[in-house]
Amino acid sequence: MAEPPLSDAELIARVVVRDDRHAFSELVRRYQSAVRTTLRRLTSGNLALADDLAQETFMLAYRNLASFRQEAKFSTWLYRIATNAFLADARKRKEELLGDRDDELPDDEGAEREDDALGDSELERSASLSMDMARAMAVLSDAERAAIVQCYHNDLSHEEAAQVLNCPVGTVKTHILRAKQKLKSRLAAWARD
Amino acid sequence: MNDQPRSAINAEDDWLDAALRVEGVAHRADYLDDGGFTARIMSALPAPVALPAWRRPVLLVLWALAGLGMAFALPSVVLDVTYDVMRIVLGQSVSFSGIGAALVAIAVATWAAAAFVLRDD
Repeated sequence: MAEPPLSDAELIARVVVRDDRHAFSELVRRYQSAVRTTLRRLTSGNLALADDLAQETFMLAYRNLASFRQEAKFSTWLYRIATNAFLADARKRKEELLGDRDDELPDDEGAEREDDALGDSELERSASLSMDMARAMAVLSDAERAAIVQCYHNDLSHEEAAQVLNCPVGTVKTHILRAKQKLKSRLAAWARD
Repeated sequence: MNDQPRSAINAEDDWLDAALRVEGVAHRADYLDDGGFTARIMSALPAPVALPAWRRPVLLVLWALAGLGMAFALPSVVLDVTYDVMRIVLGQSVSFSGIGAALVAIAVATWAAAAFVLRDD
């Protein structure tokens, strides 16, 4: 009969006490998808950069695992490392990102919906909205996008998001409020439906 | 100043909130196949710290040398301690169970010391 899978805490203890590489690989396997998809959202779909940052995240997690106090969930701790890695990288690339972002958006389209191009089916509508949402997310500041990703995509509470983003809860709420205002203006055509 | 009626603003908020939540659900359901990612991470980890093979015999020799050095440097102290220990031990009323317990205690202490010195780390 197969043994039940080890808990995160048990795997972490094995890594910290015995430098158990197999246990760490199990942790990576468990969380690689969540970390990579989060970073893909944060980097607005830059897959190569997202995977580089994910690799950096797990390397940092390995080096600092002994300092993980289990006060938060392991996934929350990983999101924090990933978000910090993203923000640090974004600061380095700030000029490129700010310079190119608007140019990447299709001319005159922005997030405006073109009714004629849309099919009637709910699936097409949903896919179209998702694409427009992704474009609209790209115009948010890094901190605003991080707040939206943590609260909506990773389903964290404001308090947990504040831990991940290393800022007060009030700042998280402000980022979300501002992000929503920007999204509203970019997605105004969808709101009229 | 926003001149929209409050109900319209709330409706807009609800719509955006719902859209973001739908995006969130899709995001969480979106599982990325490992595709060699874990293997890449594991190969990038620093190599495990391997202690040299000569460490164990050297430690045993050092402990033995330290004991002998102590005996030669302070022979009177070593003899005094030995005599005192023997006097205390022989002064006790000895039973077979006591001897057995002492032997077990000595064996446990020896095993613990050896396990500590020869441990894998």
